[in-house]
Amino acid sequence: MADFTSSWANSGALLTVHRWVTVIGGLLLASVAVLVLCLQFGATSVDVRTVATAIMHLLRADQGGSATLGTPEIIMVQIRFPRVLMGFFVGASLAAVGVTLQALLRNPLADPYVLGVSSGSALGVSLAILFGIGSTFLLLPVLPFFGFVGGLLALLLIYRLAQSKGRLPIHSLLLAGVILNAILTAFIMFITSIMEPNRSAGLMAWLMGSLTAPGYPALGVFAVYAVLVLAVLMHKAQLLNVLTLGEETARSLGVETEGVKKQLFALTALLTGAIVSVSGMIGFVGMVVPHAVRLLIGSDHRLLLPASALVGGMFLALADTLARTVLAPAEIPVGIVTALTGGPFFLYLLLWRKDRML
Amino acid sequence: MRPSPRHGRWWAGLLMAAGVLIVATAAFPNTDDETSNMKRRQQGILTGMPFMAHVSAQAYVDDAGRRIYFAKPPARIVSLAPSITEMLFAMEAGDQLVGVTDFCDYPPEALKKPKVGYSNPNMESLVALQPDLVVAPNDFFKPDVIMKFEQLKIPVFILADKNVESIFVHIQTLGRIVGRSPKADAVAMQLREQVAAIKQRVQGIAPVRMLYVLNSHPLITVGPGSFIDQLIGMAGGVNVAAKSVTPYPRLSMEAVLQEDPEVLVFPVGKAEGISESEQQAWRQWSTMTAVKRGRLHQIAADWLNRPGPRIAKGLESLAAILHPDSVTSSQAER
Repeated sequence: MADFTSSWANSGALLTVHRWVTVIGGLLLASVAVLVLCLQFGATSVDVRTVATAIMHLLRADQGGSATLGTPEIIMVQIRFPRVLMGFFVGASLAAVGVTLQALLRNPLADPYVLGVSSGSALGVSLAILFGIGSTFLLLPVLPFFGFVGGLLALLLIYRLAQSKGRLPIHSLLLAGVILNAILTAFIMFITSIMEPNRSAGLMAWLMGSLTAPGYPALGVFAVYAVLVLAVLMHKAQLLNVLTLGEETARSLGVETEGVKKQLFALTALLTGAIVSVSGMIGFVGMVVPHAVRLLIGSDHRLLLPASALVGGMFLALADTLARTVLAPAEIPVGIVTALTGGPFFLYLLLWRKDRML
Repeated sequence: MRPSPRHGRWWAGLLMAAGVLIVATAAFPNTDDETSNMKRRQQGILTGMPFMAHVSAQAYVDDAGRRIYFAKPPARIVSLAPSITEMLFAMEAGDQLVGVTDFCDYPPEALKKPKVGYSNPNMESLVALQPDLVVAPNDFFKPDVIMKFEQLKIPVFILADKNVESIFVHIQTLGRIVGRSPKADAVAMQLREQVAAIKQRVQGIAPVRMLYVLNSHPLITVGPGSFIDQLIGMAGGVNVAAKSVTPYPRLSMEAVLQEDPEVLVFPVGKAEGISESEQQAWRQWSTMTAVKRGRLHQIAADWLNRPGPRIAKGLESLAAILHPDSVTSSQAER
């Protein structure tokens, strides 16, 4: 352990540009490797190399012809590739939101679903399914739209409930969020209980969290949105560092804490709404990945935030690959895999470095 | 160690709570239990002896292996599944039915019967109906609900649907229990003939690969071990989810494209059809044979999902979807 603590990459070390570039660069390379690995496996025995050569041949043969793709190419290009990418972006967003909320709420149990925004999204989707509202509009799926609107409404409600005299006290934010979460979850339970069992099974499957192969327009919209929000969060990373010292200290250091808190709450809620509306509730990534990464590289958010995002993306893409293949041709809910693989690994880290936990 | 006044109040509260509890337990269940326990024991003596069960025509064994004895045909029946309600109406035992589930909507008369909930039935309203028989399906059912019935001395008959033939056997068994045997036998006979005719018609025709879409996002379908999977085979189809290990799998879209279904079947409720947008979403898979040939069909979910007397209708329409050419002539006869 001694050699580890002295290592420059480790949590004790100061953050230098060199260290930042090395860690993030390494994780980026690892992400690309993981994505290629995930593309290799699926319910069908289609592999990357044959598909790549087939597509190369096609491109060489005629320039504009994607209509002549065979089934293996379609499986790779239309199903596996968008799904793996979606998994990566969702995982990255979950982990980044988790990091931000753990710092903002100064609560190690915080995850993207703690503040009730997720339940708002889930309720929006449940209502849409209950009333049998269709699945696409202008090439984009409609359900995520309902989810997003539900999440926004929940955000506004929590914000109104939690703020007092122009301030946003952390404890009332947390309480309002948890209670609203319980109320909205009760509504969702009510909806599933009045639906016919055959139909509520579909809703339950959706709620449990699942990644499906999105169309490219939907994937593109989500990816751009997520990257934009992540970039803004990155920009605020230094403020997160100051906030973890406590609000009093932060204020005394000249940080306008109220404004920062409100912005961070809005940003995380906006991203959570989008995540839930495309993938349901995938547990564990948002809570455990930040802790694991913090244990390994320290708690400077300028490094922790992007590193967690990359690790979260890799983790979810890998977990989803397991979910897609273990029972093939059937799939299992990805949330089961994230909990069963992430949980023991986190417990191992906890035993290994209990002293560094908080 | 003198107890403070606060402590005193606390102890008084505890004592009072204990007192209330004792009074309550003494007052309520005991009186009830005494008398009914005796009845129970008698039942056990009668039905516990195999030779007696054979002698008496009123002892039946349900699909959970429980033996149930009837002194006379039940006159107040509660059905806990839409399929069971349909069976009872089909054998003209509708007047004996005093309670149904929230989902019992066929025949229309069933809508007028009092409702008792579904998988977690409302015990109070159920007991208030004073049933002398509750017929329940094996699935969606919790052991503690059955135990509650046994405590209340309400006879429960459990039906487990293993295959299509078991539906017809159930109709006949229920017929004997409720005293409508001739009608029930006739219904079962007619249904058997219809199913045999469908089977014969599709025999020798090349089976058609099909996907039964229970839910599109995420994709859920039926696999081996499910009831509908059997119907698909009987109607001259091949389920593309045949390799799945679970009866209701979330199927991988990759596997669907590889197996390349020739027909997509969407079970739909009474009001809604397959929404235009859902069809649109499926049409993006332009290399799929079903999409190329435009064979996206809808089927009345209730006919296939409910293991009741309308199963022959369901099988008929599934066969008609899969093999449209073979049906036209025999459809006209009926």
